[in-house]
Amino acid sequence: MQDTVHSNQVNPKGKKKFEMTYERQKLFWAAVFLLPWFIGLLLLFIVPFFQSLNYSFYKLTPQVGSILFEYVGFGNYLFAFNEHVSTSTSTSFSVEMINTMSDVAFNIPVLLIFSLFMAVLLNMKFKGRAIVRAIFFVPVILNSVAVASALGGGSIMTEILEQQGIGKIFDLQFFLIQSGLPEIMVNSVVGLIDRIYDILSLSGVPILLFLASIQSIPGHLYEAAKIEGATGYETFWLITLPNVTPHILTVVVYALVDTFLTSPVSGIIQHELNTQNWGLSSAMAWIYVLFILGTLLVVFVLAKIFKIGGSHYE
Amino acid sequence: MNSRITANLGLGQLSLVEAAKERGKNIRRVRKFQSILISVLRALLLGGLCFIILYPVIQQVLLGLRAPIDANDPSVVWVPKNWSFQNFRLAMLVLDYWNALLNTFKLSAISMVLQVASTALAGYAFSRLKFKGSEILFIFVILTIVIPPQALSLAQYLYFRDLGLIGSENAIYLMSGLGQGIRSGIFIYIFRSFFKGLPKELEEAAQVDGASVFRIFWNVMLPNARGAIITVGLFAFVWQWNDTYYASIFNISTEAFPILTMRLVNAAENVYAALFYSGALSLIGQDVWSNPMFLATISNVAALLMMLPLLVMYLFVQKQFVESIERTGIVG
Repeated sequence: MQDTVHSNQVNPKGKKKFEMTYERQKLFWAAVFLLPWFIGLLLLFIVPFFQSLNYSFYKLTPQVGSILFEYVGFGNYLFAFNEHVSTSTSTSFSVEMINTMSDVAFNIPVLLIFSLFMAVLLNMKFKGRAIVRAIFFVPVILNSVAVASALGGGSIMTEILEQQGIGKIFDLQFFLIQSGLPEIMVNSVVGLIDRIYDILSLSGVPILLFLASIQSIPGHLYEAAKIEGATGYETFWLITLPNVTPHILTVVVYALVDTFLTSPVSGIIQHELNTQNWGLSSAMAWIYVLFILGTLLVVFVLAKIFKIGGSHYE
Repeated sequence: MNSRITANLGLGQLSLVEAAKERGKNIRRVRKFQSILISVLRALLLGGLCFIILYPVIQQVLLGLRAPIDANDPSVVWVPKNWSFQNFRLAMLVLDYWNALLNTFKLSAISMVLQVASTALAGYAFSRLKFKGSEILFIFVILTIVIPPQALSLAQYLYFRDLGLIGSENAIYLMSGLGQGIRSGIFIYIFRSFFKGLPKELEEAAQVDGASVFRIFWNVMLPNARGAIITVGLFAFVWQWNDTYYASIFNISTEAFPILTMRLVNAAENVYAALFYSGALSLIGQDVWSNPMFLATISNVAALLMMLPLLVMYLFVQKQFVESIERTGIVG
């Protein structure tokens, strides 16, 4: 092997063909492979990104063949925060923004724990595992804004069922309050149960990510633990969890972006866009971007403090 | 160690041998009990969750299979009294189903191919063809994941308007082909971590045999990337199929080129008008269509019709999908 390479390089049979070194080739092909993406990045990402920053300081009025620019400074931002009331949903941008932020703060930890737990369960060996896994990823397929709007967020179904007097087969909230539990606790528990389908559909991809990362843990660690007589509880805390932590950050970023993209805030932004309040919608989008980047910054700082994200072997 | 210690009957102590046996038995019993308990709990939990996932689908199917007359009959809750496909026929009229299905399929399939091609190339370059500054470029990939499309859509809209691409599916193809389609950043990330995970020896062996960089990519790496391709392909297809955001911004759904999601959203907002314009109202009596529950049923069935092709497709690829995701090492 070594020999053939050598002779190839030294004596290319006298042919003086145009040949690049392997490193040169790599550079060339990297440029070729990245070209479409780079053109896209430049034209469809970077340029629009700064343009929309520019738009957000103007009041844009579409006219025949052109757009009228009218400089308003931070007017759009102030309007979005202080005065905006959406005509379609009759909620204001700032209220929805705060709602989304609190949703993120509460939902993402729940989502993380739930999806890690489900991934561990789905990773166990049991009968019918293939079927259960297949069913669990159905919400990933069906997670659609269009379907949600057609079902009215499930409200139509609830209406129908309530009309027929079977709205609630078992009134959990009533039952728990009657049994003397504090109302705040009952409400949060019932709220979680009511949203279990939403949580399930949001957690489809995180479960996949966790499952993939659990599968990539070397099997001999588990074998050794089994020989040492570790219980399932111990193997989870001492093997699975430390090996999964490097990927928690990926899951958090994914879940964060996903929650933001499906939040009512993006609905409001799009509504303003569709009603041709272009400057306002750009300003809102920028507020939105700043909030996301801020949240990500918090997440990264937290990850640094708790040393999540790095490999625990170091 | 000599473990043959006889029992001290006076104190009621067993010999060491027997004590060890006894302890072993106890542990085994506890373990067995635990494992049974765990599997019962697991079965209950997973069964319940699977039920929650499937419940809306089952409900929609049963709701769809009733005759419209049943909408006025409060005694029909789950199983229809009069089975019929009438609801499906009406919903198909509302959605302009076959036309829209064909268009949506074409749109999703072409953009899937373009997305896979552009993101696989970029992912490979980022993982295997590293050069100075490729790490910095990769930060932009992360940014394309994190920055919401809302921040870009206006400028993109005006840009595409100048190109004359508004109201045409070519806008989507252009974005997919240039690696800026729906969540392309995530796909690049998946491909990058997958190619990163392939053994270096593969590349070296091919290099020794005198293969060029492109041939290594095409003949060695790509065939090994089946798992990643299936995963990305499925996501690209499904997300394009379900997309309403870009479809509405670029105004893709037109009279000549209807697509399912936009028809569904429009129909859901006003089922009555949709039924009226498609001439479906004359097929059923007024006592039925004046019932809001009947209209709700139709919009439900329309949603089911939109999802059905995806469900059928998933049935065929789910095995490869679930397996491939485990092998892709997405998490890198």
